[in-house]
Amino acid sequence: MRISDFIARTITQRRGLVWCGVIALAVACIAILITSLQLDSEIFNILPGRFSSVQGLKIYDRDFEQTRELTFALLCDPQDVDKLEDFSQAFAEKLRKQPWCTRVLAGSPMATPDGIRDLQSIAVPLLLNLEPSVFDETMSILRPEKIRDRLGRLRQQIEAGSPRPEFELSFDPLGLIAPALKPFAENNAIEQEQPLTSPDRTMRVFLAVTNQPSISAFECQRLMRRVNEFRAAASEGWDGGRLQLLVTGRSAFVSEISLSMRYDVVATLLGSVLLVGTIFFIGFRRWLPLLGMAVCLLLSCLVALTLAQLLFGRLSMISVAFCAILVGLGVDFAILTMGRYHQARADGEPHQQAIATSVANLGRAIFFGALTTAVGFLALVLSGSMSFSQLGVLIAIGIFVAGLFMCSILFLFIRERHRSVRHDWLFEIVKKYVRWTVRRPLGMLVFSTAFLLLLTVVGFSPIPPLQFEASTRSLQPKNIRASNALQEIMRRMPVRWEPVLAIVHATNPQKLHDDWQRLAAHWMDLQGAGKIKSFSTPTALCPSPNWMQRNREQLGAINFRATRETLVQTLDAEGFSPEAFAPAFTLLDDLQRLADPNEPLPSWRAQLPKSSSWWFLVDRYFAQDPLLTTGFVTTNQPVSTHAQSKELRRNLSVPGVPIILSGWSYVLADLLPWSHRQLLIISALMAIFDLSLLAILYRDLRLWLIQVVTLAFGIGAMIASMKLLRINLNLLNVLSFRLVLAIGVDYGIYTVLVWQKTHDVEHDVAGVMKPVLLAGLTAVSGFGSLALARNPSLTGLGTACALGIFWSLVATIFFTLPAMAAAEPKPWNANKIDKD
Amino acid sequence: MERIRRILLMVAGLISLTSFATPAPLPDSEVKNLLARIRENRITQADFQEQRVIRLMKKPLVNSGRVWFQPPNKFRREVKGNSPSLTVSDGQQLWIYYPNFKSAERYPLGKRSPLDSTVAAINSALNLENIENTFQITATKIDPPQAGYELALIPRTASMKRVFQKLELHINDQLRAERTEMLLPNGDRIVTTYSNQTRAPVPPSTFEFKPPPGTDITTPLGQ
Repeated sequence: MRISDFIARTITQRRGLVWCGVIALAVACIAILITSLQLDSEIFNILPGRFSSVQGLKIYDRDFEQTRELTFALLCDPQDVDKLEDFSQAFAEKLRKQPWCTRVLAGSPMATPDGIRDLQSIAVPLLLNLEPSVFDETMSILRPEKIRDRLGRLRQQIEAGSPRPEFELSFDPLGLIAPALKPFAENNAIEQEQPLTSPDRTMRVFLAVTNQPSISAFECQRLMRRVNEFRAAASEGWDGGRLQLLVTGRSAFVSEISLSMRYDVVATLLGSVLLVGTIFFIGFRRWLPLLGMAVCLLLSCLVALTLAQLLFGRLSMISVAFCAILVGLGVDFAILTMGRYHQARADGEPHQQAIATSVANLGRAIFFGALTTAVGFLALVLSGSMSFSQLGVLIAIGIFVAGLFMCSILFLFIRERHRSVRHDWLFEIVKKYVRWTVRRPLGMLVFSTAFLLLLTVVGFSPIPPLQFEASTRSLQPKNIRASNALQEIMRRMPVRWEPVLAIVHATNPQKLHDDWQRLAAHWMDLQGAGKIKSFSTPTALCPSPNWMQRNREQLGAINFRATRETLVQTLDAEGFSPEAFAPAFTLLDDLQRLADPNEPLPSWRAQLPKSSSWWFLVDRYFAQDPLLTTGFVTTNQPVSTHAQSKELRRNLSVPGVPIILSGWSYVLADLLPWSHRQLLIISALMAIFDLSLLAILYRDLRLWLIQVVTLAFGIGAMIASMKLLRINLNLLNVLSFRLVLAIGVDYGIYTVLVWQKTHDVEHDVAGVMKPVLLAGLTAVSGFGSLALARNPSLTGLGTACALGIFWSLVATIFFTLPAMAAAEPKPWNANKIDKD
Repeated sequence: MERIRRILLMVAGLISLTSFATPAPLPDSEVKNLLARIRENRITQADFQEQRVIRLMKKPLVNSGRVWFQPPNKFRREVKGNSPSLTVSDGQQLWIYYPNFKSAERYPLGKRSPLDSTVAAINSALNLENIENTFQITATKIDPPQAGYELALIPRTASMKRVFQKLELHINDQLRAERTEMLLPNGDRIVTTYSNQTRAPVPPSTFEFKPPPGTDITTPLGQ
């Protein structure tokens, strides 16, 4: 018994059993999904994980405190700048009192007494951590003659009216603190790197570290709900004009992106179902098969999701958007089988026989169509991106399952009693077109060839160019508040472009110190040579146990008693107030105590108060693991090309020091060859696979050539449309080319296979062209519905695919058919199609 | 911040040269009228004597010299004595030169330095433009024999409040500043008395400074 007959008999004679099987399958899938479905909202999983720069971005996002940092900005009208300055203090206090807020930075720590005191508190450990020769030079300041010279000189300068000695003596009465902090201060001018007030004073920025327990999407949403409550009441007490409160930061982004993902899934799925359903109903004007198709598609989605969940253990939220694509693709099979079934019934075949005919005639085409589409999507596995790999596997599974269901379960929804459609205008139009084209193919062939060739030339010519957008904005959802806030802050603040991150993870403190020493020395040379603009590192804050031990031993040689006596005498002689120099005596006591080898070496981490604003600076460099650190390199120009990223990698590296270079701009530049490879090599491989499959399938050189030209026209016209409509390529929609190849070739397969076997052109070719037309339109709708998404990666992918499939459909109808008719003419109204 | 404060002390002290009061007790409308008259008759130079009570020193520091001023933001201040110094601002940068040490400090203005907002505010006070918005002004009329006015200026903005808490001006009956007293947030106090005030024109070169050869130049707030 043939498979088609077996399916037809089972569907018609064992309906109850099949229904039970369907329900059991659905229940099993739902049960598995409910108990084990885990969604991954990690945005970085869109990027290929094998790149160290991408790994670096993930490390920075996961392990560094900045992930819990929110940036608040108050923006007022120009006439209210003085009011804003006063209001800022009240706002900062209000912010500090929020239960979700751990620390607030409202200005340079150096501008506050607490900030200066905190800095003094870490001077001793940093002093001991100085390079030995610098330490010796610094400690020579404690010699009696040097104490006398220094204080005498400073007293004269004070009399002369200089502001500097007053500051120096207040901050560093002994002259030891400034040298100790010099390495730390050299690269860390926070006010210069991160100005907190705009030049026109209309914007004030506040950094806040939150206490959110995790950085998951749901936790970010919970935090942002509380932040928004605060935002609503934050302007109380403001008596000026319009005051805007902007909030941005990772949590704000993740919260909005995850919410937009939910919207994307719902909007694209509903949009896809609505559009596809409408087209299906217009084509067949029956409700029950439409319901059947929806059930089959839903079941396909459920099965694919379940299998993918079992396979991967965790599904990306982006890959869940596969449902919309699967609806657009799976409906093709329903349209084809339904079309053939109704044609068979119209030919007078009984219900069971019509099912068998439909499956027998189109089963092979559907199998190969599903195969090419599945392979096209499976090729996404080669992208190296976890999210897109999952998307590819999901759709590959889904499309095969959908092909199976559309050739079986779908017929459960078709009544045995056949009601013929009175007037199928769509079929009549298609039939007229097929008749006209087959009889006189040259006219249409010349016209379509000229038109598609023109578009193809435009598409493949270098002018106008197809723009490649390698910026973070190409991956951000549109119009989200966090993004708008960030743009507004960046517009008003004279910040430089994003620095390159250099992540160093050492095995012990000494290694970490040595690594950063070597990197800092090398980068200093690069800066001197003009190869980089500037850099900042945690070098000064990476303690060297060896240096500290050696320097402590040197303290034993200092006569602290004589030093103290000299200081007392000099203060008295120069007329200084001893009370104002109390910190100097405390520092001498601390150093004398540390000369004892039994005293533990001091740690700046333990001495810096937890509430200190300096932690904002420290947290830029250190992860929760103190041995995981990052430095920052500002380049002469924004990093936008792969050549720049390569040169940076070559320049910034130091032999023997393992570093990971990263940062959004750097990552995107680093990934450019990857995305070009996606575009060219993998698409070419896909094309070779398709062409080989077609050669085996057709075994006819002329038909094969026609199909090759059709594919070339489809892709060429797609690129031309993107150029003319100014749709840029980005890192993700380059994947669309292989998808278009995979899907577009199906229409050719359906048409050519029927053409090869038909002896009744009106009956068979017109009978397949109508479903092909409907299938193409539904696929365009399915992908087009992705344009409803807020995530531009989905929108870009959907738009590019919709364009490509549209042109593939156009090329199939207006080029393939007349070309076949011209190459291998068929008599009109010949015998019926061969039975398989 | 101390050094910034110190610079601003000197600069703000110059306010006294151009700030004149109106009859007491002065309502807002009369303060405005008085300020308008002052703007029409600004003095340009005066001798001064300054006494500084600072917490670092056991005894007050005393020095004297002469100041020149040209609206809106140029000034020159020469300190004489054992520890002489010269302070010159041309509006773009501020120089402080110490002849004894052959050293000079240069502070840029208008490049988003921490000085900018406060210097801008002070300069507007020197110019007496918008002074009503920059300071809370309390004016009291003083009867003879020390006929004149006492003006108490309290900064309105937070940045200026960080520089000084209060500035008191004594204006004589000829609308000339005779004495200023400035109270700093850390408790330091500076009292300056003025004499020989004139309105004679000042050549532009007065507000230019070129360090003598061999001068050690530093930029404490960066370039």
